[in-house]
Amino acid sequence: MNLKEVAKRAETGPLMEASNFVMKRVAANVPRLQKEYNIRWDGQTLLNLDDDLADRCWAAGKDLLLKTGVYSMNSRRVIEFAAEEIEDVLRFVPSRVPLGMGKDAVTVHHRKVEDPRPPFIFGGPFNADVHEDMFVKLNEAFAQERIIDCLLFPGYLKELDGLAIRPGSGLSSRAAILYGQWSREAVRRAGRPGMPICGHAVMALNEIACTSEEWGLRATDPRAMVLISELQVDDVTMSRTAYYQAYGCPIYMAFTPLVGGYGGGPDGTAIVAVASFVAAIMLGGEIVHIGPQHIKYKQQTNNHSLFLGSLANQAVARNSHIIGTTSHTTAGRPGSDQYAYEFSALALAAVTSGSNMTGPRPAEPLGFNDVSPLMARLFAEVGHAATRLTRQQAAAVVEKLYEKYRDKLTFEDAPIGQPFEQLYDLDTLSPTPAHQSLYEEVKEELLRLGVPLS
Amino acid sequence: MTSAKAIYAKMRSSIEEYDEDAAAAAAREALEAGLDPVEAVEMGFAGAIRELGEAFDRMEIFLPGLVMAADAMKAGVAVLEEALEARGDVLKRKGVVVLGTVEGDIHDIGKTIVGAMLQANGYEVHDLGVDVPTTRFIQAAQEQKAQVIAMSALLSTTMLFQRDVLELLRNQGLDGKYLVVVGGAPVTQEWADEIGANGYARDAVEAVKLLDGWLGEQAR
Repeated sequence: MNLKEVAKRAETGPLMEASNFVMKRVAANVPRLQKEYNIRWDGQTLLNLDDDLADRCWAAGKDLLLKTGVYSMNSRRVIEFAAEEIEDVLRFVPSRVPLGMGKDAVTVHHRKVEDPRPPFIFGGPFNADVHEDMFVKLNEAFAQERIIDCLLFPGYLKELDGLAIRPGSGLSSRAAILYGQWSREAVRRAGRPGMPICGHAVMALNEIACTSEEWGLRATDPRAMVLISELQVDDVTMSRTAYYQAYGCPIYMAFTPLVGGYGGGPDGTAIVAVASFVAAIMLGGEIVHIGPQHIKYKQQTNNHSLFLGSLANQAVARNSHIIGTTSHTTAGRPGSDQYAYEFSALALAAVTSGSNMTGPRPAEPLGFNDVSPLMARLFAEVGHAATRLTRQQAAAVVEKLYEKYRDKLTFEDAPIGQPFEQLYDLDTLSPTPAHQSLYEEVKEELLRLGVPLS
Repeated sequence: MTSAKAIYAKMRSSIEEYDEDAAAAAAREALEAGLDPVEAVEMGFAGAIRELGEAFDRMEIFLPGLVMAADAMKAGVAVLEEALEARGDVLKRKGVVVLGTVEGDIHDIGKTIVGAMLQANGYEVHDLGVDVPTTRFIQAAQEQKAQVIAMSALLSTTMLFQRDVLELLRNQGLDGKYLVVVGGAPVTQEWADEIGANGYARDAVEAVKLLDGWLGEQAR
């Protein structure tokens, strides 16, 4: 199975309406598989501890993908896979992928449940809207955090030259070029010229204009694709994958299963998530990002998403050598302690479940530059600390953290926090004394709660 | 002959069981029994689907249930509407809505939920799908004699097209003719205000409340 074959099936597979695909192939099969494999959430557990449940979820997810295939949204055809094709791709999917170049080269690897090796940290603006005047400074501030392994999604340039950017326009091509130039400039300024940059400039084909070995994103930089929920792909994603794959870039493929959507509750959606992990590698993904969405909440730190992420990650970590990473979005915003408590809870659950780490970012940023490099450092530190915990130990801390924020998960109730320019001295690119104090206070509290931070 | 109460119970259970054929059959039975179609919609279908909408909001049922219930209601209402049309009448709805995800954006689920919830709450919804060209929203609103244009955008780069629809409405002298509601992950009340939309809904429940408020006021 390769992209040539996938592209062929996107033109020749069974023809159907999208609504039929999601209702008859996805929604109709999930409850049957839930019953067949006995995949149930007890309504309480935040971090799964049941290995057998994880293994059944893996089997159910693969079974689901066999029954659904992946829907090509533009051709309205289903890309179907045979069981032996899935097993073949699973056998050959890489368990280690080198990223970046020179002295800044790093390797992202598959992790096992309770793996003692540190998780790989994808950290950066994570597609928050970033103002053009702040783009280089903000990314430099992330890149100077040595604990971050790969600069993540350097930010959406929503406006340029005082104009809003329309996807696919000439202006957006110019934005993509500047995105490449400015991201590279940021890592150079931080003294890490070969630091990998995980790129995702705009959701349009012309974002490939950010690519240049000389001044932009390189063949050693992973490029992000996003599947559409559930189990759907569009031509732009296929085309970008084809281009970047041919160029030699590692393919970072994300998917966003929706709790309360076509997969049902967190247990049914965990099956969809496993199917999506496998679908991502069938479509050429080499690093697979899970970013659960929720019908009621926008963040990924609610009880449903914590459980679903832990179960799906464990299913994948125990039964394959797919390189997985978990998205961390929160209700609280940078500059608030809740931001840290939320991403810490999710990081503990994800890392002990065998995942690498992507994030953090508020799910609903308030305007431009609503991220903090210092908080990304803490996020990574918590991830590293999690390798010294068992799932059982981590689960106890996750519960305590969840209690701290569970009543403040809505947009209205979550703390507003502050954007980057209010949290940092922009001349020295160092945190303000108040932001530094917050970091230290939260770290103290995390230690008290049982996170073994060094 | 079956009593009205028994027929309404059948109509109700057809929605609860997501059964399109049963909904159409129960609607036909209501007509054969001489029941008023408008009353039959309210007494047979509407209560059941409103309750399912509330159950969806409490996460007791999920999106497939809501979509199937809305489809069952659509099948049943179509039978009753046909009877009404035959006597030169129309089924009064709370309002007509054209709905879609804006150009360049292929995210489907958010607007599907909004559409199902609006249908469940008595609106006639015309779902234009995803990646809907700016001009198509206006054309569809005119064709369907809609009161409301509802636009979803999941990306901060595509929400720009919500602005373009409003600008186009103004350019075509249609400013104020339609109530425009916007939503989607990056969309905020501030954005809605900036582009001149009538309202912003964070989710499907808010969209229903917003439209109920507007169209209720218009009716008064």
